[in-house]
This record gives sequence, C-alpha cells and structure tokens, in this order.
Amino acid sequence: MSAQVLTVTSGKGGVGKTTVTANLASALAMLGKRVTAIDGDIGLRNLDVVMGLENRIVYDLVDVVEGRCRLRQAMIKDKRQAELYLIPAAQTRDKTAVSPSDMVLICDQLREEMDYIVIDSPAGIERGFRNAVAPADKVLIVTNPEVSAVRDADRIIGLIEAEEKGPGQLILNRVKPAMVSRGDMLSVEDVLDILAVELLGVIPEDERILVASNQGLPLVMHGVNGASAGEAFRNVARRLEGEDVPFLELVQKQTFMSRLKSFMGGNS
Amino acid sequence: MARQIDIKGIRDGLLIRVSDNPEFPVYERLRRELDQKREFLQGGRIAVEIGRRPMNSEQLTGLQEIFGEYDLTLWALIADDGETRETARTLGLATRLSGSATDLDGNALGKREAQPANGDAAANRPPPPANALLLRETVRSGRSVWHEGHVVVLGDVNPGAEVIATGNVVVWGRLRGLVHAGAGGDAAAVICALDLNPTQLRIADQIAVAPNDGRGAPIPEQATIRDGRIVAEPWRH
Ligand SMILES: Nc1ncnc2c1ncn2[C@@H]1O[C@H](COP(=O)(O)OP(=O)(O)OP(=O)(O)O)[C@@H](O)[C@H]1O
Ligand SMILES: [Mg+2]
Repeated sequence: MSAQVLTVTSGKGGVGKTTVTANLASALAMLGKRVTAIDGDIGLRNLDVVMGLENRIVYDLVDVVEGRCRLRQAMIKDKRQAELYLIPAAQTRDKTAVSPSDMVLICDQLREEMDYIVIDSPAGIERGFRNAVAPADKVLIVTNPEVSAVRDADRIIGLIEAEEKGPGQLILNRVKPAMVSRGDMLSVEDVLDILAVELLGVIPEDERILVASNQGLPLVMHGVNGASAGEAFRNVARRLEGEDVPFLELVQKQTFMSRLKSFMGGNS
Repeated sequence: MARQIDIKGIRDGLLIRVSDNPEFPVYERLRRELDQKREFLQGGRIAVEIGRRPMNSEQLTGLQEIFGEYDLTLWALIADDGETRETARTLGLATRLSGSATDLDGNALGKREAQPANGDAAANRPPPPANALLLRETVRSGRSVWHEGHVVVLGDVNPGAEVIATGNVVVWGRLRGLVHAGAGGDAAAVICALDLNPTQLRIADQIAVAPNDGRGAPIPEQATIRDGRIVAEPWRH
C-alpha cells in the first residue's frame, strides 16, 4: 500500500489550514493509520506548535533538502499517537529553499511507509503553494463562509485544475449555525453553489480549537465526546477512509431548507 | 482540461500566460495562438508569464525569435524560477511589470487601458471573424479568457473571473464575473446567460453593473446596447 498525499491549502491566510492539518493528521492516526504531517509553511512554521512538538525539533524540511540529515532524522514522532510523525518547516529560511521537485521526492520516499501524508501550505499562490501542491494526490481546500475567502478558494481550484490536480475537495471551516440561520453568513449551500466541488467536511466555529492549539494538543485528541469541531474533524478522516458519514445535523437542516426554498421558487 | 494559454491586455501591452506543465508544447501552441490572433496583436508589446517553468538562454532566445517573426516585441518575462529571471535579464528582458498597475500575477482588473475597447481602434479594424471558442468548464476567479471571436461557456463564470471577446458571449450557466463582448468596438455584440448576475458587463465601450435587486428565480437574459446604454432583457426568440 502506498500513501495518499493530501495537501491542505486555501489561498487566503488565516482560514484554518494549520488547524485542519493538525486535526486531520491526528484523527487519521487515531483510526490506526500511519501518518506524516509536513509543514510546508517555511519561514512561518507553526504546525509544530499546534501539534505540541515544537521543543523536539532538531532537524527540519530544509535540512533534509540540503542533505544535512536523513529524512528519518527530521521526522518527529508524536508522543500520543503510535504512528504520527511531523516534519517541521525551517523557521529561518524562506520558501525558495525548497522546490516542488524536492517535495515530490520527499513524499515518494515516505509513500511506502505511510498511509497518509498531510501537507500544510502557506497562504498565497506563490512558490510555497506550488511546493505544497506538487506532490499532492488530493488537494483539500479550506475556506470560511465569507465572500473573500470563497473567492480565493475558487482561484485555488482553478489553479489546481490547471496543474491537473483538481478539482479538490472542500472543507468549510468556522461555520456559525446561528448566524447562518439568521441569514448573516453564507450557508454551506451558498458556498457550494459558487465552488461546485465535492464537500469533505463542515467544521463549526469552536473556541476550544484556540485553547487546544495553545496547549499543543489538537482538539480531536481531547477525549471522544462533546467536542463538535473535534467530531467534525473525525468525520472528515472517516470520509477520507471511504466511509459514508452524514454531515452534522446543523448543516443538514440548513441544506434541506434552502433546497426547499429554491424548489418553491420553481427553478434551479 | 484547463486552458493553457491566456492572453490579456495590460497597461504595458499584452500579457501572455503560458502553462508551466512540462508536457505542454509551448512553441507549437504559441505559434498556433499567434497565428489565430495575428491581426489583433499586430505590432504589440508582449510580456510572457511562464510560471515555474525553467528556461535557459537558448530557449528564451527562441521565444524572442518567435515573437519577432510575428512582428511583436517581447519585452518582459515573468518567471518564478530565479535562474530563469537572471537569464532573461542578461537578454535585456524586464522581469517584472514595473510602472504598471499590474501585479506580478498579471491582474490588472479595472485598469485595462491596453484593451482594444475604444472606438478609434475599432474604426480601422475588420469585423470580428466568426470563430467561436467553446469552454466546457467553469471559469473561476483569477482567470482571464481572451478570444478574438465569440465565446461560449458551458458552465459558470464566477466572481473574479473575466471573459473578453471581440464577438458575442454566451454563458450556458451563471454569469457572476466580468464579461466584455464586442471588445474590438462592436456595439452590436450581445451577452446571454442563463442567470445574468454579473459583477460588471461591458459591450464595446459601454460599462454596466448589475442592480442589486434580490431577484427571485433566475431567468435567461440577454444584454445588448440600446440607445447607447447596456440593457438586459429576458430571453425571447
Ligand atoms: N473552527 C474554528 N473555530 C474557532 N477558531 C478557529 C477555527 N479554525 C481555526 N481557528 C482559529 O483561527 C486562527 C487561524 O487558524 P490557522 O492558523 O489554522 O489558519 P491558517 O490558515 O493556517 O493561517 P496561515 O494562513 O497564517 O497559515 C487560529 O487562531 C485558530 O485557532
Ligand atoms: Mg498556517
């Protein structure tokens, strides 16, 4: 079995790429998968912080690329999951220290030993984005229910289609059900209406995410019950594994209502 | 399949964006594109964006020669690869679109002075040829489709995307981005869409924005110039 490479990207900054990468990698590892997370945000690394592995960094991605260590030496083993690893980004270099073909090479070396490789990418559509997308088997586009974030996601989808990596799958993050039902926030359906890609996950706004990030313990690892964003991330992992998991109730209701509305409108 | 060559007007002339897929036959496709648009491009200043495709001095000279054959001047090369930029500079090419309002990404929305939309240019230009470009895909944000002739999109034109044609534009889908029909000055050009809800419409030298009326179910509409203004009407035949 050869690993599947998932690249998490968004165009717009701050929409939750790093949060998604950390939680998804953890959730997949909790399903018993062998997972390596790679921080592709060179110069602004923070996946290590969110995963709570910062103090164990000795070598990083650039050290591997420039031959200062073997790939294995740069893989930090997670304390809590048996088969979860992190390859951190370099903090003191910039994106040009790594090329898209370096990324392809590194992932190819890992493929035989892993089930999933999850790559966090920097914001933007420049070199760092291209590095992260180059080895991808599947691109996960993270966006928020916000016009500018959706616009950037649309652009990203166009770019990955041009790279023949498309169309990708969508993770809609920071949805606030109350705001959606008041009509103050784009609904899941509004976003899909523009982007027209497959929906992989809907993550509600959840302040425990911030707490979890500060603790360096991804929310999905916080015990099994009650955490709705955690639950949503676990569902994403199960969908990647091919399970048919229904979307959380809050979303279903919304989708149903808007469908009904357009039906009564007699069109589309 | 995504489009592999895009041409758009920028302040400094024209920007040609070429796919950096290594399999993509640049020279061959570029020649074909230049052949098709020969009339239109005449004597233009060209900037080429090649993404992360690396090119050496020989290849760049080859590129300059091709444009030379078509009586076009290659003045800038926008490349991701540092070495390629270096080489381009030694050949006397600019490596950024400085002084223009165009960012490195080629986005010049709203500042398309170089676009052949003014009446003068139109007067001594032949009518657009009856060739049509069919796009069976959604035109997404950040993409610019430029075509001499008509454009038919079987899909949506999303916000942040633009379609510019010298002829008519038909969108068999939702038009929510920017469409410019009759971009060579043809005021008789029309724009049709199943759902006409554009960011902006242009026909010849006229510009219109969609009113922000919370419309009900979308209906097919056609936009034309009437009494010197762009109007949209429900589609009838
Ligand atoms: N579902 C959520 N609920 C609440 N807060 C969230 C959620 N998702 C992300 N956040 C918070 O939003 C902030 C940005 O998230 P994150 O760092 O994951 O984004 P990013 O896309 O990686 O940013 P950058 O582009 O800077 O790399 C963080 O403070 C994070 O805790
Ligand atoms: Mg990040």
